[in-house]
Amino acid sequence: MLDHILSLLIFFPALAALFGFMIQKESMRAYGISVAAIEFALSLWLWFAFDGNVAGMQFMENLPLVPSFGINYILGVDGISLFIIILAAFFTMIGIASLTDTPNVKNMIITLLFLQMTMVGVFAALDAIIFYIFWELSLVPMLYIIGAWGGPLRIYASIKFFLYTFAGSLVMLVGMLFMAYFYYQATGVWSFAILDWYRLILPESLQLWLFAAFFIGFAIKVPMFPFHTWLPYAHGQAPTIGSVILAAILLKMGTYAFIRFSLPMFPDAAAFFMVPIAIIAIIMIVYTAMVAYAQKDVKQVVAYSSISHMGVIILGTFALNVEGISGSIFLMIAHGVVSGALFLLVGVIYDRRHTKMMSEFGGLAHVMPRYATIFGVMLMASVGMPLTINFVGEFLSLLGFYQQSHILTLLAGTAIIVGAIYMLAAYKKMFFGEVTKEENKNLKDVNKREWVALLPLAVITIWLGIYPNPVLAPIDNSVKSVVQLMHNKATTELAKDRIPNLVKPKVVIIEKTIIEEVH
Amino acid sequence: MEIGLNHYLVLSTILFAIGLVGVMRRKNLLLLFFATEILLNAVNIAFAAISHYYGDLTGQMFAFFVIAIAASEVAVGLGLLIVWYKRHSSIDLDALTTMKG
Amino acid sequence: MEKYLYIALFAPLVSSLFSALFTATPKKLFTGIIASVLIFTSFVASTILLLHILKGGEPIHVTLMTWMATGDLYIPFGFVVDQISVTMMMVVTLVSTIVHIYSIGYMDHDKGFNRFFAWLSAFVFSMMILVMSDNYAGLFIGWEGVGLCSWGLIGFWYHKEIATWASNEAFIMNRIADLGMLIGIFLVYWNTGTLQYDEAFALMPSLDSATLTWIGIFLFIGAMGKSAQFPLHTWLADAMEGPTPVSALIHAATMVTAGVYLVVRSNELYSLIPNVGLFIASLGAFVALFAASMALVNRDMKRIIAYSTLSQLGYMFAAAGLGAYWVALFHLMAHAFFKALLFLGAGNVMHAMHDELDPFKMGGLKKVMKWTWIMMTIASLALAGIFPFAGFFSKDTILEAAFAEHHFVIYGVLLFTAGLTAFYSFRLVALIFHGEERYKIFGIHPHEAYRFMLIAMSPLLILAMIAGVFQEPFFAMVEEILSAHEYHIHSHTTLWIMLVGTQLFVALAILYAYKKYATWSSVPDGTSPIENSFFYKLLFNQYYIPYFYETYIVKPYREASELFWTKVDLKIVDATVDGIAGIVYGTGEKTRQMQSGNLSTMLKWMVAGLVGLLFLAVAFGLAARYSDEIIVFLSALGV
Repeated sequence: MLDHILSLLIFFPALAALFGFMIQKESMRAYGISVAAIEFALSLWLWFAFDGNVAGMQFMENLPLVPSFGINYILGVDGISLFIIILAAFFTMIGIASLTDTPNVKNMIITLLFLQMTMVGVFAALDAIIFYIFWELSLVPMLYIIGAWGGPLRIYASIKFFLYTFAGSLVMLVGMLFMAYFYYQATGVWSFAILDWYRLILPESLQLWLFAAFFIGFAIKVPMFPFHTWLPYAHGQAPTIGSVILAAILLKMGTYAFIRFSLPMFPDAAAFFMVPIAIIAIIMIVYTAMVAYAQKDVKQVVAYSSISHMGVIILGTFALNVEGISGSIFLMIAHGVVSGALFLLVGVIYDRRHTKMMSEFGGLAHVMPRYATIFGVMLMASVGMPLTINFVGEFLSLLGFYQQSHILTLLAGTAIIVGAIYMLAAYKKMFFGEVTKEENKNLKDVNKREWVALLPLAVITIWLGIYPNPVLAPIDNSVKSVVQLMHNKATTELAKDRIPNLVKPKVVIIEKTIIEEVH
Repeated sequence: MEIGLNHYLVLSTILFAIGLVGVMRRKNLLLLFFATEILLNAVNIAFAAISHYYGDLTGQMFAFFVIAIAASEVAVGLGLLIVWYKRHSSIDLDALTTMKG
Repeated sequence: MEKYLYIALFAPLVSSLFSALFTATPKKLFTGIIASVLIFTSFVASTILLLHILKGGEPIHVTLMTWMATGDLYIPFGFVVDQISVTMMMVVTLVSTIVHIYSIGYMDHDKGFNRFFAWLSAFVFSMMILVMSDNYAGLFIGWEGVGLCSWGLIGFWYHKEIATWASNEAFIMNRIADLGMLIGIFLVYWNTGTLQYDEAFALMPSLDSATLTWIGIFLFIGAMGKSAQFPLHTWLADAMEGPTPVSALIHAATMVTAGVYLVVRSNELYSLIPNVGLFIASLGAFVALFAASMALVNRDMKRIIAYSTLSQLGYMFAAAGLGAYWVALFHLMAHAFFKALLFLGAGNVMHAMHDELDPFKMGGLKKVMKWTWIMMTIASLALAGIFPFAGFFSKDTILEAAFAEHHFVIYGVLLFTAGLTAFYSFRLVALIFHGEERYKIFGIHPHEAYRFMLIAMSPLLILAMIAGVFQEPFFAMVEEILSAHEYHIHSHTTLWIMLVGTQLFVALAILYAYKKYATWSSVPDGTSPIENSFFYKLLFNQYYIPYFYETYIVKPYREASELFWTKVDLKIVDATVDGIAGIVYGTGEKTRQMQSGNLSTMLKWMVAGLVGLLFLAVAFGLAARYSDEIIVFLSALGV
């Protein structure tokens, strides 16, 4: 069973979703929770069986689909993807558990289970075509969630979300086809397997074009400035559960794909584009943080803060060294947990007051002290307080990038200032002061169902902030192999210079002396 | 003056042009069929003439195919036309816009 | 010994978590008591560690577990108890214990009683991490942790708009400095490959001086934020919106001295870069004078004491910058005692006066509040540096150090500031405790604080009086690691003239303050000529610096944010995207006309297409046939 655990993880929720049509409406929630819990247990088993000391792919599966064109059903996980898969399973579970009075709850749960299939599929796929299929399929359930359960502008938001990301993905697909064609030209064999592509060393000019093609697809998904405007609409209109999954998992597809595709396949281009991308990342960090500060709707604050944090992730990724890339992967998980929790928290107050305008609140700390506390914990995590999960990621990302550029890191480091500004301002508007609105005077504090969703997130936030090692160590191993691969593949001086060589120079000296002795 | 290939081709071209103008200008569905027939027969003349010129029967064979298809097309087309006329009591092209996008 | 280290470190955490359990419930007296007992436990453990170090024991160094490890980076949770950290631990735990006990009385009627102790103990825990960590990353945990607790405690009365505003200001301003600190940490890591103090310092002498200078500057920027040095000083005065015990503990005795601790801890770095040290000393001297000048005219009791704290922090930085690290540390310790005492006394006065803060509305309180009067007077004497109180030994040594190092400008500024300090301290004492009972106009009936609060304060009173005797043993203890040397002014005559002169100068300032304010009888209403003079206004408005920040930084930031959202994000970025989508839609909408459904029209389009294709076929055919000629033609045109 362990041999096919990835297929199981992918298709079990999809099958369960199909069976879900036959379940009665009343028992649907229980059914959904149990399916998601089994899925989560399976993902934990995957972690348990995962060997953290192995840098390469594990639990590989390979099934030929179109052998003449080298399209195969290849799956596998390494330290980079493992934890995002677990996170996806986890968030689907608590997402379903926290569903409140949603209309058509049956359809919602079926959609979520289907969405889960596509999410796990994206992170487990090691064949470009399989990756692409899951990547695009993930749009469909999300489109449905926003379009069917969203706010007043839901049609506009969902269409914008779909078409924007879809357009980007098509450019990415063209890049993939070209990549396969170049592979065919170089080796005489067609292959879409990512691990095969890793071995291909392309000339720099080609790398630049392919990198750009992939970049457009990924950048829209992340979303990077200036491709980010679909996100505030999507978050603003999506129901709570949609925003949670979108922020926690779907955005991570873009940054994950940078590490899976762009860096190891095009190391020269990555080094070449490092500075421009870092500048975009800094714009994302500062500019969206300022925009977040101007928001009147608390959900939009969280939405824009997501973009700002994704900027730090991008920066860490393009640090091109182990510290930065590990940090950015860790920050993906951290941001998933924290922004997911923040969206859930916004959902809590939205359920009670049916508004997200901060001016409608004020003094909530008086009436909902527990809510204020847990919001405060997540706020501080989002701001990057040490001993919370976000700090580890942000610290490592910035630390990593510092090796590449001092001044850019200094600019990007303003993330910790501007982040504090909008978050504290929002918290102050919502929770501090006197209770002015009559409707707010008798609000109920967090109830049991909400605790079930929020408490695990708070525990993870603190636990991984204090002891990130169980997650960081496997990530570190896999990242080391990626960085070494990039260094070995790099052809330009610039890339050799920017991507560190992890094989210590000592070994080289020994080799030299051996060669001399032989001579 | 001997009548050569060029004459046939010129005739074919003139007929084709007449047919083309007919296709563009006619508003009556029946006359549109006539124009289409002229187009097809213009091509037939060219086929037959070139076939004779090269001494290759393929062209003439093709002309027969065209005649057969034109006949069947007219048969089906006229049937549809009559049905249309019975429904709408008009075969004016401008009134025939149910496919508007 | 490790056992005591862990007790000292984790007792406050236990205390905080325990109190946090009851945050949402009404006041429970036992949370305050248990919290105080646990902090006292931490104090006892620290004392045992101090005795161990005093007896010449080895510094205790433990590693709890790995925190972050990736690539070449390895950061453990490591703690060290050496001469420097044990001094800080003593200061922190002693003052915290007293403040905890005091708060049981002070927060008596507050409905956030339990929450207060949770925050306060959390602060102690963060502060202990800050001082005990053996690496910069651990220091940063504590650094941010105290910032967080400071945020929670300044804004403790969160229903007050001004309190929450002040707490956010403090947090954000500290964050600005923390960025500098973070950059300093990155520099240390990429240049030495480690963040452990001992390993990093061992490698630093081999680095080039430009790098060291940058490290020193960036770390000091961090210290500037936490210790509220110019230009990041405005938050400290605003932080006085918090409960007074918080001001005593955080904004006088411990947290604000973290910056000094950082410089002292990094002494091996700063002794390599004397230029940066000189800058620190100059800034310190400037801040000492600058803050003291603002204290001269202020009409808010707590703000006056806050400015005096700022001024004393300037002294500490002056000492540390000149390389007199042990003097800085000693002044830090002595200052913690008398300044906490002063704040707690002010707390008593506030309680008695129903939170009135303007000393001009008090007067004559010594009759009803005898003990508070005694305590605040002695604390003020210590602050002014009168023999034989604590301030004399610590502050005078700073002056001597400045003199002995031949930095006479700094010496002069610090000496002048000492006079100002004495003046504003006794202006406050005179206005509060002497003269007419002006509070009667406002119908207030003052009363002395609870007895146990006064008893809790008494250790501070004793220490403020006698801390000077610790100077010798303290020097003996820290000289091992602080490369300390005693400052001897070679000529005894000069030394005596300096000592007596300083004392006389300070005593005159005190007398002048008494003469001017001890018989004050009216509440100023802003009409007197002095209140309308330029200098008074300048000082009273804090040199218009808060106004400047508000107008030229905060407001533009807010406006720029609004602009970015409404104009750039919605009108440019998003509008471009929608515009592209609009073009596609529009094209579809326009070309839709072609699909009129009219067969005749469609046939015309068909013919047009046919003609177009024919034309293209002919054109390409000709181009292919005459390609050579075309190339020649084009090249003749220079294409």
